[in-house]
Amino acid sequence: MASVVRLLAVFLRVGILNELQYRTNLYVQLFRSSLSLVTGLAGLGVVFSHTQTLAGWSPPELLAILGVYLVVSGVLRFAIQPAMERLMEDVRNGTLDYILTKPEDSLVLVSVRAVEVWRLADVVLGSVVIGAAVSQMHDRIDAWQVAGFVIALVAAATTVYSFLLILTTLSFWFVRLENILVIFQSMYEAGKWPVDIYPAWLRGALTFLVPVAFATTVPAQALAGRLTPVALAGAVALSASLFTAARYFWSVGLRRYAGASA
Amino acid sequence: MFRAVWHIPAKGGANFAKEPPTDPEQDDGTLPVMVIPAVEISRLRKTYSVPVREPGVMASLRSLVKRTTRDIHAVDDLSIVVNPGEVTGFLGPNGAGKTTTLKMLSGLLYPTGGQVRVLGFEPSRRERAFLRQITLVMGQRNQLAWDIPATDSFELHRAIYRVPRPEYRRTLDELVDLLDLEPLLPKPVRQLSLGERMKCEIAVSLLHQPKVLFLDEPTIGLDVTMQRRIRTFIAEYNRRHGATVLLTSHYMADVEALCKRVIVIHHGKLLFDGDLSSLVQRFSPYKTLTIELESGSDRIGDLVDGIGEVMRSEDGRVTIRVPKSDTARLTERVLASLPVIDLTVEDPPIDDVIERVFAVERVTSNDPPEAHEREHQSQ
Repeated sequence: MASVVRLLAVFLRVGILNELQYRTNLYVQLFRSSLSLVTGLAGLGVVFSHTQTLAGWSPPELLAILGVYLVVSGVLRFAIQPAMERLMEDVRNGTLDYILTKPEDSLVLVSVRAVEVWRLADVVLGSVVIGAAVSQMHDRIDAWQVAGFVIALVAAATTVYSFLLILTTLSFWFVRLENILVIFQSMYEAGKWPVDIYPAWLRGALTFLVPVAFATTVPAQALAGRLTPVALAGAVALSASLFTAARYFWSVGLRRYAGASA
Repeated sequence: MFRAVWHIPAKGGANFAKEPPTDPEQDDGTLPVMVIPAVEISRLRKTYSVPVREPGVMASLRSLVKRTTRDIHAVDDLSIVVNPGEVTGFLGPNGAGKTTTLKMLSGLLYPTGGQVRVLGFEPSRRERAFLRQITLVMGQRNQLAWDIPATDSFELHRAIYRVPRPEYRRTLDELVDLLDLEPLLPKPVRQLSLGERMKCEIAVSLLHQPKVLFLDEPTIGLDVTMQRRIRTFIAEYNRRHGATVLLTSHYMADVEALCKRVIVIHHGKLLFDGDLSSLVQRFSPYKTLTIELESGSDRIGDLVDGIGEVMRSEDGRVTIRVPKSDTARLTERVLASLPVIDLTVEDPPIDDVIERVFAVERVTSNDPPEAHEREHQSQ
């Protein structure tokens, strides 16, 4: 874990220093983040002009979901997705060889080495939205809720990371897989809304097939004080087991890459 | 098996400039220390199983249910020992198994059979202590990030290898100096020319001062000046650090300039292992005679016909190939019978020798190429 943090810090520093040269990217990203915030808010506005609750969610609670959605998608686009895209490219070009000859855990290396710094704007904006939602929800929020939320958020990021890693690892077998990340992106869009509003089959799919429910709904439930400890434990257990599975699958993929199984 | 015995430098010492003795009998008075060979390969095999694709729609459909695969023996019963500090050229035509061997040596591929040891480590275990001491440079693949300056990639490399700052500074200064990198470092890599990029690629892969260098066509696609530059650098690096270098190249100039020893493989099998000069001796029992004749001598070809095989003939200059043992007699005959202005006797160009090596192998090989590929079916 220490080496992950250390390397991430170095890669982040170099990434930031380089991005600072291209300020246009910052403005483009700020515009994009604002746009997704505005469309999100507009969507909420439309819904609540017709009704006061949506599947039991009040307006500030839905705002919290939007905030979590922004934060998690910020993390996703800041580090996870660039890393996975780079990994697929490296498998296709054979440059993964360079990663594998480094004296460092290959999974750590592939996970930290590509970052898109300005995407963090989504994280900042999302945090502001969450703050606003919370201030409308409660007069004061207790420490347990905050702790539950943070844990749920970490579990959410881990789940999304592990899920994408499993998809990306498939590129050891099927070389052309770019579209698979795009499909995930569009599924993730569904996370703007609580999964409760979807029909049962879709809810099932968004919970167990593509873990969107764990990425946005569950952390927001924690904020709203509606998450039971059991559900939180479930989310943590899922993220831990998905992470373990992803790591194992990665090592299987590597063995295939090295021709150990062939 | 150990072929030579000498001291190994404690830690990439810059003072290890002395040529290591190649003969165990040549003792310089100090106690001989048994050292581990830098590279030791014994009976190495690597077999790929590739699907056979037959033409036609029906065949393609059939292959969905019943896949026919074919075994390709990329490396077949290869045994090599390379001693520390040696610069060895690894030659063979495309697909001979050179890259596959280098990949097994750097731990990227698991051998199908046989043993590989590099600095005493088993590469496929990819232990950190092992990976820290080697480097792999592939001329056709870049490792520097495209959008950031080389200097930043160097910094990332330092972090990955955990090179202490002062040591890093020293190594970097040396590399910048030797390769003339100063003006290149702040530019994003995508703005560099191919040659400039290759210099940076080589520099980044040496920042951790590896003891063993696997260079897979490091000069490919570079112009002659840049090739020479890279070559000089490799030689100098080897001299200063006593690093072991295993190099593949299609440019014989690289091999001639750098490698005393060459290993030739073909179809994954060892064809030759020894000095470059003895390769020429063994595979080319010929000399070339380049004769310049007085202007006006027409029908040059006819004139020299019967003396040796004509290889080239242009503007009064003709190059013929003669059996080595007859060189003196035939030279005399040429001088006596033809209006010669100038005459040069040379060993044939190394490219021609290598070409001959493979030609000879094809003729004398007792198993036809099909034997390398056995077909079998799997459901």
